[in-house]
Amino acid sequence: MSWDVNVLVVGGGAAGMAAALALAEAGASVVMADPGEKPGGILNRCVHRGFGQGLFGEDLTGQEYAARFRRLLRESSVTVRPRTTVLSILPDRTAVLSGPGRLEKISFERCILAAGSYERTPQSLLLGGTRPAGVYTAGCVQGLVHEYGQDIGQRIVFLGSGDVGQILAAQLAAAGKQVLAMVEQKDRPGGLPRNRREYLEAANIPLILQSTVTRLHGDRHLTGVTICHLPTGKESFLSCDTLITATGLIPDRRLADPLMKDGKLPEWLIPVGNCRRIYDIVDVLAADSRKLALIPQ
Amino acid sequence: MDRSDVIVIGAGLLGCFLARALRRQGLSVIVLEQSDDVCTGISRSGSGIVYPGYDMAPGSLKAALTVRSCRDFPALCRDLSVNYRACGSLMTGAGPRAEAVIRRKYVDGVKNGVPGLELLDGDACRRMEPLLSANITCGLYAPGTCAVNPWELGIAAFENARDNGARFVFSEKVTALSRQAEGFSVCTENGAYTCRDLINAAGLSADSVHELISRPSVRLKVTGADYLLLEDGSADALSHVIFHEPEEKGKGLTLIPTADGNLLIGPTERDVPSSGDDALYPAGGTDPAGPGHNGPQWAGAPTEASGIRWLRERCHEVVPELDTEKVLRSFGAARPRPYLTGADQNKSLRDFVILEEEQFYSLIGIKTPGMTCAAALGEHLAAIIAQNRGIREPDPAFDPIRKRPVIPRECSFEERQVLVRSHPAYGRILCACRDVTEGEVRDAVHRGATTVEAVRRRTGAMMGTCQGGRCLAEIQEVIQDELGC
Repeated sequence: MSWDVNVLVVGGGAAGMAAALALAEAGASVVMADPGEKPGGILNRCVHRGFGQGLFGEDLTGQEYAARFRRLLRESSVTVRPRTTVLSILPDRTAVLSGPGRLEKISFERCILAAGSYERTPQSLLLGGTRPAGVYTAGCVQGLVHEYGQDIGQRIVFLGSGDVGQILAAQLAAAGKQVLAMVEQKDRPGGLPRNRREYLEAANIPLILQSTVTRLHGDRHLTGVTICHLPTGKESFLSCDTLITATGLIPDRRLADPLMKDGKLPEWLIPVGNCRRIYDIVDVLAADSRKLALIPQ
Repeated sequence: MDRSDVIVIGAGLLGCFLARALRRQGLSVIVLEQSDDVCTGISRSGSGIVYPGYDMAPGSLKAALTVRSCRDFPALCRDLSVNYRACGSLMTGAGPRAEAVIRRKYVDGVKNGVPGLELLDGDACRRMEPLLSANITCGLYAPGTCAVNPWELGIAAFENARDNGARFVFSEKVTALSRQAEGFSVCTENGAYTCRDLINAAGLSADSVHELISRPSVRLKVTGADYLLLEDGSADALSHVIFHEPEEKGKGLTLIPTADGNLLIGPTERDVPSSGDDALYPAGGTDPAGPGHNGPQWAGAPTEASGIRWLRERCHEVVPELDTEKVLRSFGAARPRPYLTGADQNKSLRDFVILEEEQFYSLIGIKTPGMTCAAALGEHLAAIIAQNRGIREPDPAFDPIRKRPVIPRECSFEERQVLVRSHPAYGRILCACRDVTEGEVRDAVHRGATTVEAVRRRTGAMMGTCQGGRCLAEIQEVIQDELGC
């Protein structure tokens, strides 16, 4: 049987790029499909530093980190398909790729699934109240503000205190927005201690611990949230025009799920990066993806 | 001054279907809508069930229209190119009270002429729906019940009416009505219109619009219902709409495998306060967005977290093994409950009420099955107006067919390949969860969408697993590009 390519890499974020480069270096023919304008995935939304110490020996922003990888890709034999989405992966080892002006089926020997993750949505949180505009996930706001230059509201409440939320809160505060509170269910904020010092504490973001948002208010646009103190059940209203949730990432296994048989994926399909498990540090994710991609079948 | 034969106030499902039916009669129509899109009030959220017609009192207008509408629904969906799920329904019960209710519905249904009704025992129910609880002892099968997406239906009717010459004016809130020598004068915040016949289909504001020109008669109380929508593909768990009639009165539960492939669970009905922070804001009420805001845009009725949790728990009594953890979203729906002024507010009017006074028609409190009957109510009223004007034949130029927008995911691979080659934008996927392309987003803007929300409802983009978390920024950029802003 002859295949169109040795390896199809689905997704061109940090995991996909690291895997594609490793495979090309090892002599495989590689096609990498990425839905974005340019490879990088969620790195392209990250304007903060803290990337690359492990891999490049430098403190880079996410965007710079992605640019380094793109340079390596250009020098490699990897065929990059930008603005291209893999619609499906079929059991006969073909995939359907859709991009501007081009819909094709590609057959492959192996497939590296680097489809990343999506954020737990505010819509899934069973909040009471209305469903006004002005409610976003942290990653969505990163994309809107940092990648697409769009604006959001002025008076912001965060729900959840993970790394992404802390960094974004500090950035929005620096950009002149009022970050009114970061609401966290636990009795201390989440995220890496480094980020807590560098962002949350430095930007003086008020924390409301052991609490959660229970209700949205507003007709067309958000006008406030109800915050419930969990140990006492006491509720209070906080006026705001934007709610940003940072309540966790979920691996995106949409393309893999239909291929599961007896709880296992076919051996030719290898999930890497955040669609394998959620990573905290991108250097670790990239190194793991490299390793996983190179494991012989 | 804009003049037309008929003015319709409100572009909900009813307003859209009225406009379509009036155009069919050859009458010129202007529809005035206070919001910036169609179907943003009651029609914005509902169960999307096309009812078979056994719930209505025999002999009522509602019963007649429902049975006819359900029969004609597949043909309507074909004309308007709207997806629907011809799933049939099963009403289930688990005890003597529910059995009595179900038998009564069967008798009423037969009287109303509902085709194909069957009374079933518990085992027969489980043969049709293997996941049903062992506690279910009886059921009523109705093959005609369908599930449809309410706003998809409304948008299709709107587009067909518009393509046939109906004029829709959005962000146009009616402020005053008066009678003229030959009809009516209608004042809005932005202008003035005149017409010969005037129809009030203002939904939750229909009572206040009515009272702009007439004495109080029917008023509306608003009730709310909570809904839970499960993840994409969850509809596969059931093959019918399930109406569960529990032993405890008024605690019914409905499970709907939607046309989009999600399982929708609802509703628990409760009162929505008429004032205070969670109140709804009908016309004439206070607009929380303040002055300069173009009339209220509904964010839906408020939902109650407790109500949603209740739905989840209750669900397990009917379908014990159903996984209700993976929630796509939850929302509240607003429902009108009409009552006669002076009468007890809790005594709801049962039949559809069309108030008629010399060329002025008010549809106040068209509640369930309002979506089912929207087209029939439109035709019914348009026929009355046409008859009063001596119109005998429908306009031969009227085209009832609405062309389906291009939807690449509905094409075969080969068709899709040809499409993408000739129109590159249909190859670029913007919403990966629901497989929606840049071409569809651009088409939605050409079809009249001006907001992200309007594009969402016309394309299905941002309605899947990530709810737009990944693609909102990109989609917003395409919309802005298309609108030139």
